[in-house]
Parts: sequence; C-alpha cells; structure tokens
Amino acid sequence: MSLLKFFKKNQHSKDEYNSPSEIVPVHSVTSRTLVFLIAIMTFLSALTLGGLIMVNKSASAWSSDISREITIQIRPVEGELMDANLRLAETIAQATTGVSNARALSIEESEALLKPWLGDDVDLTELNIPRLVVVELSDPIGADLEQLKSELKIIKGASLDTHDAWRAQLDNMAKTILMAGVLIFTLIVVATLLAVVFATRGTMASSQQIVDVLHFIGASNRFVAKEFQSRFLKIGLKGGLIGGIGAIAFYMLLGLITTSYLPASSTEQINALFGTFSLSLVDIIFILILVPIIATLTAITSRITVRRFLKQITW
Amino acid sequence: MIEFDNVSLKYGNGPIILKDISFSIEKGSFHFLTGPSGAGKTSLLRLLLLSLKPSNGKMSMLGQDVSALDTDKLLQLRRHIGIVFQEFKLLEHLSTFENVALPLRVLGQQPEQYKENVTELLDWVGLGEHMHSLPNTLSGGEKQRAAIARAVISRPDILLADEPTGNVDPELAERLLHLFAELNRMGTTIIIATHELSMIKKFNYPQMALKNGGIIIK
Repeated sequence: MSLLKFFKKNQHSKDEYNSPSEIVPVHSVTSRTLVFLIAIMTFLSALTLGGLIMVNKSASAWSSDISREITIQIRPVEGELMDANLRLAETIAQATTGVSNARALSIEESEALLKPWLGDDVDLTELNIPRLVVVELSDPIGADLEQLKSELKIIKGASLDTHDAWRAQLDNMAKTILMAGVLIFTLIVVATLLAVVFATRGTMASSQQIVDVLHFIGASNRFVAKEFQSRFLKIGLKGGLIGGIGAIAFYMLLGLITTSYLPASSTEQINALFGTFSLSLVDIIFILILVPIIATLTAITSRITVRRFLKQITW
Repeated sequence: MIEFDNVSLKYGNGPIILKDISFSIEKGSFHFLTGPSGAGKTSLLRLLLLSLKPSNGKMSMLGQDVSALDTDKLLQLRRHIGIVFQEFKLLEHLSTFENVALPLRVLGQQPEQYKENVTELLDWVGLGEHMHSLPNTLSGGEKQRAAIARAVISRPDILLADEPTGNVDPELAERLLHLFAELNRMGTTIIIATHELSMIKKFNYPQMALKNGGIIIK
C-alpha cells in the first residue's frame, strides 16, 4: 500500500486495543514514596477526625446527662427537721413543671458520696452532713426552675444546684479539644499538600523529556497538566485507601482491646470519658469520605503545580 | 508558508547564533538545511518548531505572526509541524506503537480511531513486528523510523528533520529520503537538516546553507 493511499484512508478500525498506557508512568520510586506518605497522612487525618467525633459525642452525652439532672441541697439548720424538709423538697420538686422524678438520697448514700473525698477513717455519723434531693428532668428546656427555686425558699437551708457551672466548663473543654483537633487536622492536610507540591516538582523535573516531547507534538499545557493530574489522582486514591483502611482497622483493634482485654472497671472509665471505640457505619463513611477528598486535593495540587511549572518553561 | 524577516537568535548573553536571516519558504517545497557543525542548523530548526523565541526580527508560520501568539495558540500551531529529532526523543516507557500514536492522543483521538492507521504506518516503515517493543530494544535505525512515523502520523503541514539519516545505513537512509519525498509530493513542506552531501546531490532539492550566522538559499 502506498503512503498516499494510507493517508487518504478515513476508515478507523474498532478492535480490542482500547487501553493506552499512561503517558506519565505511575510506577516510580517517587510515586511509591508519595503513596506511603499520603497513606500515613490519611491515617493520621482519620485518627484525628475519629478522635474529634468521639470527643464531640462524649461531650454531648455528658452535657445531656448533666442537664437532665439537678440537685436540691439542704444544709442542716438548728431547729429544722431534716427528714421532713427532705420530703417537702421532694413534693415541691415533683409538682414542678418538667420534672419527672425527685428522690432524696438516704443518709448512707450521702455518706458514700463523701467517702472518696474524706476517706474511710472519718466517722461520718458524727458529722451533720448536708442532704441531697436528686431531681430528674423530663424536659430540661421547659422545666420551670425559677418556680422551683422560689418555692424552695420555704425550706430553711435549701438551695438549688442546676450544674450550669459544670456544664459550661465541660462545653469549654470540649470546644477547646475540638479546636485543637481541627487545627491538627488542618496542619496534617496542609503538610500533605506541601509534600504533594514537592513530589510534583520532583516528578516534573524527572519527567522533563516527557513534557518536552508532549510540547513538541503540540500538546497544550492543559493536556500535560491533565496527564500529571491523573497520575497523582491514582497515587492519592491508593495512598488514601491504604491510610483510611488502616485507620478503620486501628479503631476496630482499639475497640477489641478495650472490650476484651482490659478489666471491666477500666473499660467503664474509658467509655465514660471517651465513649466506646467501636465505629458506627456513619463513622466509617466519614473516614472513607476522607479518601476521595485527599485524592482530589492531591490531584488539584499537582495540577496547579504542573500548570505553574509549565508556564515557566513555555514562552 | 514560512517567512523570516531579519531574524536573529542568541542564547541569553551568549554569542549570536543566527544573525538577521531572512527567507521565505513556499507551501509544498522541500529544502535541505546545510552548514558546518555549529552553524546553527539545530537552532534554526528549533525556531521553526516554535520552541525558541527569536531575539530579534519577525517570524511568520502558516500565515501567523508567531510573536503575537499566546502559549496555547502557539502550541496549537505546533500541531501542524512534525519534527524528527537527531536523538529520536522517544518515550522509553511507551511501546513503539504508543510513541507513534502520541500526536493523535494529543489531538483527542481514541484508540479505536487511531489503531488501524498507526499499525499500517508502522508496517509501512518496516516496524510492524516491533510495534509492541519498547524503544530501548530497537536499533538506531528502527528508532529513527519510529521517530519519523511519529512525526508524520498526524499529517503535519510542515515536517522538520534534524539529521534523520545520521544513524542509519546508506540503503535505509535513501529509503527514508524517498519517504520524505513522497510526503512532499502529498503537499507537506519539508526541511531536512543534514550534512550528507551524497544525499543532497542525489535528491537535488534546494539548499538553505547556513554560514557565519547568515543563510543562503541555493
């Protein structure tokens, strides 16, 4: 067949060749290092995110528990009958809007509350200790605490503790932890992106011939950037998946250790402070969403870096 | 098709490589670019490929003043120019087939669109059996033919070649020159930088001779 005949042909064949190779090779030392680095960064990001979710959940649970319970404290006053005052306080509380239950703690329960602070050696029966009425709220927002406070004035030595100060401190602590977590998360993401910028520049430098050839055959900067972006998207996805799955495995392992290998008392304390380490489906989805986000950020960062690099080398 | 008007070129603060050269090349012509080593043949080819900016003067390619073009338009214009490098510049991680298909991929064609054309062109240049080989397994002559196939696959208006017969035996060199001649008969404007006098005499196309930074068309 002559060359003329060849070029005049307009027909195109349709056969099995449908998957051209990557113009920018995916496998290289730089890309393996970058996959490893992104995997570590995703793992750390997922751990931070998981920690934030856990603290947030625990803080909400604590806050909710505290807000559902208030305490009436009755100090001993000379000439007043403590038992009668306790019953009166119970009655007043139970009649208040938004209260589901009110119960006076027995003398034994009150002493048990003080023992951890005063020790076993002190004989509490000799002390005239204040007594408590625990009031459970069915509707913390709608409960008429002002009315309760006002009606308790008829009991000498009675005061109402709504735990507001505790709750405010708890909220502040939770917010501080959350802010610190967000800062750490942001720093990890920024560090990842900076690493991608350096890796892209390194790859561009080592792929100079590819860029030259693509330019000589008329490839636009957009085309070249797209080729590099596609390479980095794959690297980001691979690293992100490894890191994300690693983080999920880590949480599962932690959950297993706290439930199976630690003493029950330790597990209770850990659960009270941090919540359980088991991951819900929503938590897993949250962590897995990180993978495409990190991969996309990696691809976009590399594209911007490549476009800047290309601007410097084209006239 | 190609107009150079008092074009000069120097690299940075270095000496002047090309000095006030002016020439005009008609569409469908065939020229040998000659001159001693260091005369600026490769530099002139790079100017024609739009990979270098002239230091002075006006350059017009395919009817467009290149100094007025932005990067994107310049790269688009370059799609009309095929280039065969002395050192081939094949991508080592791609097969011969994929190297040759590269310009068509850049144009946005899909594999099913270019598969047959690339295969036939590789057969035509005698590389049919090597289409899946990587460049580092090819001989110098085979690499040269792959580079030529890549330069012509998208049927450029202008074909530039830098010493295309420098790495092949005389028999293959002549065959490659016939290939260029056939492309030229189909309307492609061809400029071949060479110092092989025997070929120049045999094919008897006009010469653009570079000497002391100037150019003479003879």
